[in-house]
Amino acid sequence: MTLAKTAIIGIGATEQGEIPGQSADFLAARAAAKAIEDAGIDKSQIDGLITCKPPMSPAKVGTDENIGQMLGMNPAFASTLEYGPGAFSLHLADAAISAGLAHTVLVTYGTNLRSAGASFGGGTRDWLTLAGLVHIAGPAAMAARRHMHLYGTTEEQLGWVSVAQREWAQNNPIAVFREPMSIADYLASPYVVEPLRRPDLTMISDGGAAVIVTTAERAKDFKKPPVYVQAIAQQSAMRSDQNADKLMRPWIKDIGDRVYKQAGLGPKDMDLVYMQDATSVWVLQMLEWYGFCGIGEAGPFLAEGHTRPGGSLPVNTNGGQLSECYMWNWMHLYEAVRQLRKECGPRQIAKSEVALYAQTHDFYKGAASILSTHAG
Amino acid sequence: MAESKFPNIDDPETAPFWKGTAEGKLLVQACTKCGYLRWPPGPMCNECLSTETTWKEISPTGTLWSYAVYHRAMNPKFKDQIPYTVALVELDEGPRMYGRLVGKPAKVEPGMPVRGVFQEVEPGVMFVNWEIKA
Repeated sequence: MTLAKTAIIGIGATEQGEIPGQSADFLAARAAAKAIEDAGIDKSQIDGLITCKPPMSPAKVGTDENIGQMLGMNPAFASTLEYGPGAFSLHLADAAISAGLAHTVLVTYGTNLRSAGASFGGGTRDWLTLAGLVHIAGPAAMAARRHMHLYGTTEEQLGWVSVAQREWAQNNPIAVFREPMSIADYLASPYVVEPLRRPDLTMISDGGAAVIVTTAERAKDFKKPPVYVQAIAQQSAMRSDQNADKLMRPWIKDIGDRVYKQAGLGPKDMDLVYMQDATSVWVLQMLEWYGFCGIGEAGPFLAEGHTRPGGSLPVNTNGGQLSECYMWNWMHLYEAVRQLRKECGPRQIAKSEVALYAQTHDFYKGAASILSTHAG
Repeated sequence: MAESKFPNIDDPETAPFWKGTAEGKLLVQACTKCGYLRWPPGPMCNECLSTETTWKEISPTGTLWSYAVYHRAMNPKFKDQIPYTVALVELDEGPRMYGRLVGKPAKVEPGMPVRGVFQEVEPGVMFVNWEIKA
């Protein structure tokens, strides 16, 4: 392992689900206050602030100005990410600290998408709307269909993504969807965009989440055991429609190659895996590109139960966005830190020292981090 | 800022495409410098960054890369059309396009050859949809 430069020393989250009457900024600030309390840090010791704008929101929501003011902070460094899922926000904090812009950065996110009545169904790229390809379920269904065509993957095999995550969610009091769901229940649910069903698609929910990142040296001075950021890597894949096989996202393999190399680790060293799951298809693809099974083998791998409670590769032990909440990958980070700190009660994984924390946008932008209880 | 109307068949950046579909022809932008065929339209070649562009008629034939069947209208606009199928087509000449898969084929499978069918998708707007080649 290489020596980590930064570590997470505090995490915070609000309740998740439907939280009417609270603004996105307030939810972000409430989560920040919880992270400050979790770390046992005084806010005057924080010299960096990163916020991010929630998707499908007005321009002035989620800015560092709004949230910094609410938190009464004068950080030396402040920035707002237009696209700031947990993974990208964490990377910016790591980069800012490594560059010397700040030594301790509060990173926070809040959303009231559910209460605001947001929907994924509106077309933003109008050539797609013209074709009727609306909502992320459409291209995700195409990607699933292509996988089925190329590798013989079945609907039942794909179903194990959401069934396994529901099993995990049953032991997570935060999770919005906790009622049992068997593979038979999954197969009995109607198609939304065939071959995808409702359990294959993320919910929309309200909530706040925050983390505090500091230098590896300082990290030992706080209340909770540090979770070190061992390695980070990204790939933007900005060519989008000009990329062949765009919907299969083969460029994710490049992120995996670099993040593993940087950490001096491989897929077999990961005790836990967190993968953002806008749809179940993201998990199907990332299991392959991050090397947990061969290309085209994710279907049988899932059906063998590896990702379920008790399986060899715990994936999204919080239930993910399919069962826990839709927090743009932030609650995957929250869960990863809690698992590495052994705070997860009945769903705690016995050997939890190293986690892969991966994210991808609809069909471009991906990021991965390796988080560890060891500095190096 | 208000969203501009889409599709605007008089928009100079895309008008040649719409003029083509009205005549049952498929035109895409072709870079004058390197020849790269690009879709969707844009002001610059994604390959060589040249801004010199012409429109070229290409064959409305290709291969079905994949498809998705909408059983629920994810946008109220399509409420009266479900179930409907959207295709992603790899054109024989390179670009990839999304459009409806129309007709009542006995079997649909990625890899099948498809041909373009020019259909009115909004009043006065002809677009290219796709059908499985018999």
